[in-house]
Amino acid sequence: MTTSPSDLPATDEASVELDAYAAAVADAVGALSWSTNFATVKVGVAPDAWVKSLRTAKTDLGLIFFSFLSAVHWTNKVEVGDPPAETVDERLEVLAAVGDLTEGRLVHFSTDLPIDGAALATLTGVYAGANWHEREAAEMFDIDFVGHPQLEKLYLPSEFEGHPLRKSFPLLSREVKPWPGMVDVEGMPDSAEASEESDGADAETLPSGVSTENPGR
Amino acid sequence: MTLEQDALKHFSEVSVALELQTPDMTLNIGPQHPSTHGVLRIVAQVDGERVTDVKPVIGYMHRGYEKIAEVRTYPQITALVNRIDWVSGFANEIPFMAATEKLMGIEVPERARYIRMILTEMARISSHLMFMASYPLELGATTPLMFALRERERILDLIESVTGGRFHPNFNRIGGVKPNAGAGPSQKKTVQDLPKGFLQATRDAMDELLSTCDQFDELVTGNEIFLARCKGVGIMPAALAADFGVSGPNLRASGVAFDLRTHTDYLPYDQVNFEVVTGTVGDSFDRWQVRLEEIRQAAYIVQQAVDQIPSGPLQAKVPKVIKVPKGEVYVRAENPKGEMGYYIVSEGGQGPYRLKIRSASYSNISVIPQLLEGVLVPDIIAIMGSFDFVLGDVDR
Amino acid sequence: MIDSVVEFLQGNFWALTALKLVAILGLIPVSGLAIGFAELKLSAKMQNRVGPYFAGGRWGWAQLLADGIKFIQKEDIIPADADRPVFRWAPALVMVSTVGLFVVIPFWDGGAVADLSIGIFYVLAISSISTIGILMAGWSSANKYSLMGGLRAAGQLIAYELPMVLAVIGVVIMAGTMSLSGIIKAQADFSLFGWSGFGDQPIANFISPFFILQFVGFLIFFISALAELSRIPFDMPIAESELVTGYLTEYSGFRFLFFFLAEFANMFTMSAIAATLFLGGYLGPFVNVVPWLGPLYLVTKIGVLCFLMIWFRWTFPRFREDQLQSVAWKVLVPLGLANIVVTAIFKVVM
Repeated sequence: MTTSPSDLPATDEASVELDAYAAAVADAVGALSWSTNFATVKVGVAPDAWVKSLRTAKTDLGLIFFSFLSAVHWTNKVEVGDPPAETVDERLEVLAAVGDLTEGRLVHFSTDLPIDGAALATLTGVYAGANWHEREAAEMFDIDFVGHPQLEKLYLPSEFEGHPLRKSFPLLSREVKPWPGMVDVEGMPDSAEASEESDGADAETLPSGVSTENPGR
Repeated sequence: MTLEQDALKHFSEVSVALELQTPDMTLNIGPQHPSTHGVLRIVAQVDGERVTDVKPVIGYMHRGYEKIAEVRTYPQITALVNRIDWVSGFANEIPFMAATEKLMGIEVPERARYIRMILTEMARISSHLMFMASYPLELGATTPLMFALRERERILDLIESVTGGRFHPNFNRIGGVKPNAGAGPSQKKTVQDLPKGFLQATRDAMDELLSTCDQFDELVTGNEIFLARCKGVGIMPAALAADFGVSGPNLRASGVAFDLRTHTDYLPYDQVNFEVVTGTVGDSFDRWQVRLEEIRQAAYIVQQAVDQIPSGPLQAKVPKVIKVPKGEVYVRAENPKGEMGYYIVSEGGQGPYRLKIRSASYSNISVIPQLLEGVLVPDIIAIMGSFDFVLGDVDR
Repeated sequence: MIDSVVEFLQGNFWALTALKLVAILGLIPVSGLAIGFAELKLSAKMQNRVGPYFAGGRWGWAQLLADGIKFIQKEDIIPADADRPVFRWAPALVMVSTVGLFVVIPFWDGGAVADLSIGIFYVLAISSISTIGILMAGWSSANKYSLMGGLRAAGQLIAYELPMVLAVIGVVIMAGTMSLSGIIKAQADFSLFGWSGFGDQPIANFISPFFILQFVGFLIFFISALAELSRIPFDMPIAESELVTGYLTEYSGFRFLFFFLAEFANMFTMSAIAATLFLGGYLGPFVNVVPWLGPLYLVTKIGVLCFLMIWFRWTFPRFREDQLQSVAWKVLVPLGLANIVVTAIFKVVM
């Protein structure tokens, strides 16, 4: 009934079944890795095999529904938010979620790209709906989707510089203007303690997520 | 100049003279236009009234929630996600809560799950009623607007009586719903539950709602002009819909019986009976029909849930400072507009390392250019309107 | 005293004409405001609203007067790229057509400003002038929406002028005259196979024979009138949800007021023409005994027709432009032609 944390070793029937399914998908597309943590099926493939894997998923595995495509910027040098708990290789992880329309399956295909000159073949030939998602990922993360019919900016003005969802992109508005929430919202319990320990007054007036090292930016 | 070239030149002149030059006109629909539901801009090339090319321009309302979420704690994000699809604010919170709870391994008490289900279905009703109001208006009929908004007001009042908010309830808490729900000042200390008389008021409202649905059948669905405007307009085959990730009522109108409520367990939908409504051909009329029927089904769900709601606590035990264990999870839910999901990458902090918001309207409207080629200008409105999108849900 | 005034007027053509003109120029805003107010209140009723409430104290009766004063006070905005003279004259031309129509409506026996022998011909000709005004407005506004609205209005006029003429021909055949007062008299004196209803009895004329015998014609005329007036379900030239407000998009202030007033006054005139042709105009029971009942009957019939138009407006969605055209050419025109043939045969047999 209720949701169960399935990062534990697969014990109940549903998790076993999900594992089997993930393994089958991974096998069919020739994946590098797979996982079913928290009932989220994730299959890692090589960048070269990206389009081929998803074409297999669509034609052979019946995963015809294109849910979303996005990316995660993995790095320890972050301008906003907290860095990852452990040291990670700096890379861009592209995620594409595709599902079927009968069983309610959803598989997240993932692939790792180098941070500089990230390029990936476009999925628009397989799933036409990838068009906008790839445009969004391209402007937000600076990924070149090779072969995309119209890789223009989608959300941002065409003259916008920078790639906002990269972790190296600071939240400028929060640094330029005082954080409106500062007045009536308590700081995060942890960060308040932390900032007292470090350089008191300055850090306290900074909004959350703005780096304390370089506040003048 | 040779004779041949001369003849060729003459020929080309003649053919130019024969073909009257009629350059296409660029018609800018939006970002300020009565029927774009906000700030969508459609750049249409029109030949007379015939559309030859369509380019949607979005982003006028991009608020960067995915970036902001990286500097917010999980409870703070609840307030943000309310504002994605603002006509069904409550439903937006649910998948985010479910995802967070899944990562933390929290079991939500049954009563809280039922309250969530009732309010989610009410959000669905209010969202669909907004469609019932705006779609005939786009086709020129003004009166259904008043009928639908009158009914929607009742639903919003009920949501307000529980959550204190009409549009942005911000009512869910990780591990349950807000305690002291709906209690007035005098009851603040003692009552931690739904307001007095809420269940009965809900039953009455659902009865009223069902009769209004019948009125809609008479006033709009059976209207010949309405049928002439929607039938066979904007036909979306199921394969095209799946390719573009079109979900929710729009997908079901194309004949695909896929409803996440029957496939996932984020709310106790397995304990109520309801039908997954589907259309046949996937035209604008089917999209109308499916939504109207879904209002009825949602009303049935609410009626059953109100009868079955168990007693018990509203909140699971959660730590005071919410820290989410490391992990990646994607939870999606059947929102009024379609599949809404949150991909949370947690690195064990108080806020997510990355939050990907999969919103329904974004994928839903990405298919629209495919359907608009070769239609007439009035059909742009008839097709766009039938997709029931909200710009906040498109741009996030 | 009164007798001498009447005598003076009857003897003096120019004084009488001047008086009639003043009456007409007064009647246009009055009828426009009355129908506009009726629309506000009726639509409110149909939508469970209250409608205008505060202006004027009771029922908000002064709402439209207040609106009018507001419009007159507004800045007169002309788009920079507009064709200025055309833009300025378009509302006037629409109004000219309205005034022209009022001239021939017989309010009582002999109660028309000008009782033309080709009355109905004149009506059909004058009523299409307003479309030229609309086309001018759409073209001169330098706005794509306005242009499309204007062109739609022109297309609509061409499509619906024809069925309207065909519907009128049926009545003309029955009446044997094109004069509006002649048509009314023909309805009063009508006899079917020698039976003339109640003849000169006071009870006579409770319903016009043309309404029954020319019912198809009446329907065609009414639908065409709706299209010519750009009322829902044929309001594509305005079509708020598609063309913003079509040819009206760039108009504001008193020029907009002209269009606004002309729209409602035209509802009045078109209803009056329809009432004259098919419902017996000022005829009604006891009208041959008490003549001043005539205008009351006419206004009542106009009121019923206007109510129908308002009712449609707040009930139906609008057609698409191509659907409108196919209704006109594929349904109404053949129906109108068939009506003429049947009427002609009937007239010969009768």
